[in-house]
Amino acid sequence: MAANLFKNILNVRSSNLLFKKWKGTDKSVIIRDPFGNRPQKTKDSYLQVIKMFEDGDPRRRGHVEFIYAALSRMKEFGVQKDLEVYKALIDVLPKGKFIPTNIFQAEFLHYPKQQQCAVDLLEQMEDNAVMPDIEMEQMLLNTFGRRGIPLRKYWRMMYWMPKFKNLSPWYLPDELPRDVLELSKLAIARITSVDPDTKINVWQTEEIQAAIDKTWIISAQSRTQQVLLAEQPLSEPLIIKGPYNVYLRDQVVTYFTLLGKLRQEPKDDINLDGTSSRDSLLSWIRLLEKNDNPLLANVPVIFTLLAPSSDVSLHESPDAIPDDKTQIAE
Amino acid sequence: MHGCKIVDYKGGRNKKPLKCGAIPEASAGYKRKIRISAINLDTSEATQPSVQEEKFSFEDLKVIERVENRKAKILPFMKNVFISIFDRDLLAYPEILTKEDAQELEKRLTILEKVFQDSKNTIEERKFALKETNMYGATVSLTNGGLAANNTELLRYLEVISADLKLGQEISDHWVGLSALMKGLDKDDYKNVLDDLISGDHTVSLCIKETLTDRLKQEDFRTTAELDSSGTWLLKGEKICTNQSSYMLVLSLVEGDRVKAFLVHPGANGVQYKHNLVIFNDTPATPLEHVREEDLSQILGVSRLHTATLCRMNLSHGVRYCMDYIKPRFFSGKPLMEMPTIRSVVGDSMLCMYASESAEYFTAGLLDGYLEPDAEIEMAMCRNFMAYHGQAMLLKLLSIPDVERQQESLTMLDSMRQLALRGENEDSVNLFIGMYGLHYAGRAMATEIKQIRNPFFNPMFFIRKIVSNRHQEQDSPKLDLYLAEHLHPSLKNNAESLEYCVKRMRFACETMMSRHGLEVVQAHTELTRLAQAATEIYAMAAVLARASRAYCIGLRNAENEMKLAGCFVEASKDRVKKLLIEVIDGEYLNLDHFRLQFGKKLMESGEAICEKPTARVFW
Repeated sequence: MAANLFKNILNVRSSNLLFKKWKGTDKSVIIRDPFGNRPQKTKDSYLQVIKMFEDGDPRRRGHVEFIYAALSRMKEFGVQKDLEVYKALIDVLPKGKFIPTNIFQAEFLHYPKQQQCAVDLLEQMEDNAVMPDIEMEQMLLNTFGRRGIPLRKYWRMMYWMPKFKNLSPWYLPDELPRDVLELSKLAIARITSVDPDTKINVWQTEEIQAAIDKTWIISAQSRTQQVLLAEQPLSEPLIIKGPYNVYLRDQVVTYFTLLGKLRQEPKDDINLDGTSSRDSLLSWIRLLEKNDNPLLANVPVIFTLLAPSSDVSLHESPDAIPDDKTQIAE
Repeated sequence: MHGCKIVDYKGGRNKKPLKCGAIPEASAGYKRKIRISAINLDTSEATQPSVQEEKFSFEDLKVIERVENRKAKILPFMKNVFISIFDRDLLAYPEILTKEDAQELEKRLTILEKVFQDSKNTIEERKFALKETNMYGATVSLTNGGLAANNTELLRYLEVISADLKLGQEISDHWVGLSALMKGLDKDDYKNVLDDLISGDHTVSLCIKETLTDRLKQEDFRTTAELDSSGTWLLKGEKICTNQSSYMLVLSLVEGDRVKAFLVHPGANGVQYKHNLVIFNDTPATPLEHVREEDLSQILGVSRLHTATLCRMNLSHGVRYCMDYIKPRFFSGKPLMEMPTIRSVVGDSMLCMYASESAEYFTAGLLDGYLEPDAEIEMAMCRNFMAYHGQAMLLKLLSIPDVERQQESLTMLDSMRQLALRGENEDSVNLFIGMYGLHYAGRAMATEIKQIRNPFFNPMFFIRKIVSNRHQEQDSPKLDLYLAEHLHPSLKNNAESLEYCVKRMRFACETMMSRHGLEVVQAHTELTRLAQAATEIYAMAAVLARASRAYCIGLRNAENEMKLAGCFVEASKDRVKKLLIEVIDGEYLNLDHFRLQFGKKLMESGEAICEKPTARVFW
């Protein structure tokens, strides 16, 4: 008998290979990872897995493990910032069963594992800056009752998260635009918010015949800067500096500035462009010149880039820019 | 506040309306819209193509109609303030729009904004955008092809449309007219005119006011309607109408004393336009039979709310115009923006706009959120608040660029003046507010007033009254409304200021009524002061509620709102305090008696009533 048992333990069945212990948690239960075999990692397929789990077993055994597994797969599916998905996960928990019915249950953590699981879920929401809504409160109430730890967590979140949400003085929409151009507009509006008189222009480099890079340029210049630029002595060169970074939540956008460094008051125009190549910076200068800054045709401009942003080698070709006095300095 | 009702078009069955939370089985699209969990996600449908038999079941033919999910009826809010009763629940600030409503609203607003914010667009392009977004049918129910918009939404639309003030006024009249028609016309008549009106080719204009009479014995209200032998109503009289359009909603007297509204169709006989007058000479019109006078006055009162919004937007255009002027200019080596005087003027106009905006949406919330709302004086208050402060603010604001740009400033001031005089002037609205409020207070305090006016018949009451009024006489009423408990704790001081003002109102009413008795309706100067004080109190309440709500739910810039609320309430409290003390003091202490005498003498003599300062009696 004992030998049989021992044999059984040693015997690794091939089907066992399909099972694996979930790495993200310290739980000892081994479950099949239902998320691994999805061909497409999208929100729809993620929700499908949840639905399959809900439909599969009427008792929904192993739902805590399932939720933990689902939580750690969120990034992979790109749904970690989606409230609907978190709600779908909470909906996996059975309603009513975990609500304490007497003071002892209420005091001594009724269904601790499930409560911890819901708290972890809320924690993950908080880490991803997803704010729950009123409906979520209702779902949690139906699951754990008003004495549940997840409810306390929820209420704390709802106290603090709105306070933190709008702390930044620079407003960004709830969902950042996917279009880089729109994102850049937001970025440049933030950088130039110091002077409310700043005008933001969007130009296409195609306007300049000699431009190699066909891209867009967002340039910001205030009227004061324009006046200062017009008064710039021709003997003193202007300097382009950059690229600098500006962060919009988790997005980073780079920009360049045009400075007149020898004068007391720095004058700077700021630009963002699609490629950040030197050619596009040249186009920027030409476009600035074209748009009410005629002095730039005669003032030398020095490029002092902190790091070469692309491998495009820049050599002056006199025929491309005939009257150019722009100097390129590494 | 709004749910959705499924209207079953099959006559025999009378289904109960479903609220938004429930999922109607037949409409899958609807179900998908409110899905909150993966339960409803049908995998087989999503992944595999399936052939389904097409079924046409006419039982499934359903139109979703928007029904209003209103709270139970409440006592009139501001009328109660006249007797120092304050509905503290309203300090939560009404929330009317659901998430779905708000999303739909934003979508439509984005389209309108694109067209209206670009000043290059012509009026035709703007009208086209209004038609495209179904703005002309905004108040009409969904089943009739409209948007079933509530007052809160109308205000949002109007804010955008008011970039063109003429269009703004036109569409406001149109909306008000349409709601009156919906309530008052026969179903068939309503259906007949509806297509015309929704399409935007024809609009409704309101003909309510009449010119003042030039004869002593003539009635103030002279337009009459009579039934002719064929059973048609014929209108006779003249009305003021600044916005002349094809359909007209005319108020007229019937059978001597009843007021009834009539709809005059385009091309009707005997209509003559004369400058800003419309003259009706036996003009056939359709009567609005089904609407009571009280309801009609409530519906027409919405026009006042719209006037407030239009005034506010005009002021905000003024601010923007001013900013464009200020930004690139310098004064003694500093940007003009850094001048404290200029900053304070711009800040004041911000305060004014904030208060008015709060009051407008608060009123819209009262109208949309409760059953049988009685918010007539609230609407009038919104109008007067903005008309009064707006004109003063714009004048101050435009004095900044005025030296250089007189012509543009004049245009802006003129449009503000026109808006402030839209349909009526400030005095008449103030009297309306004062009388309505006092009428309500009078009914609540009738016995008390009688006793006060007969002290020797009621000696004990008189003594008790002296004791109970001792705090009021010292201008420090006992604050027992505990308004601060219903607001954010940081607003405690401001809440107490509001409470002080509310507590003073009853005493002011009591003093006025016991002083004048039934003649109180003649005490116009005091009534005006009372109305102004009540208006300020209303604005204070709305501002506090809004700021507190914004701060509690963590809106962006909510800390600014708290400061705005604090500044406004403190300034407003001083104004109310002064006004009410003047009311309580009476005409000899507040010097009204003399001011009236000056006016009287001047008007009677027709010339200055005092000599030039250089004149002498003897040399």
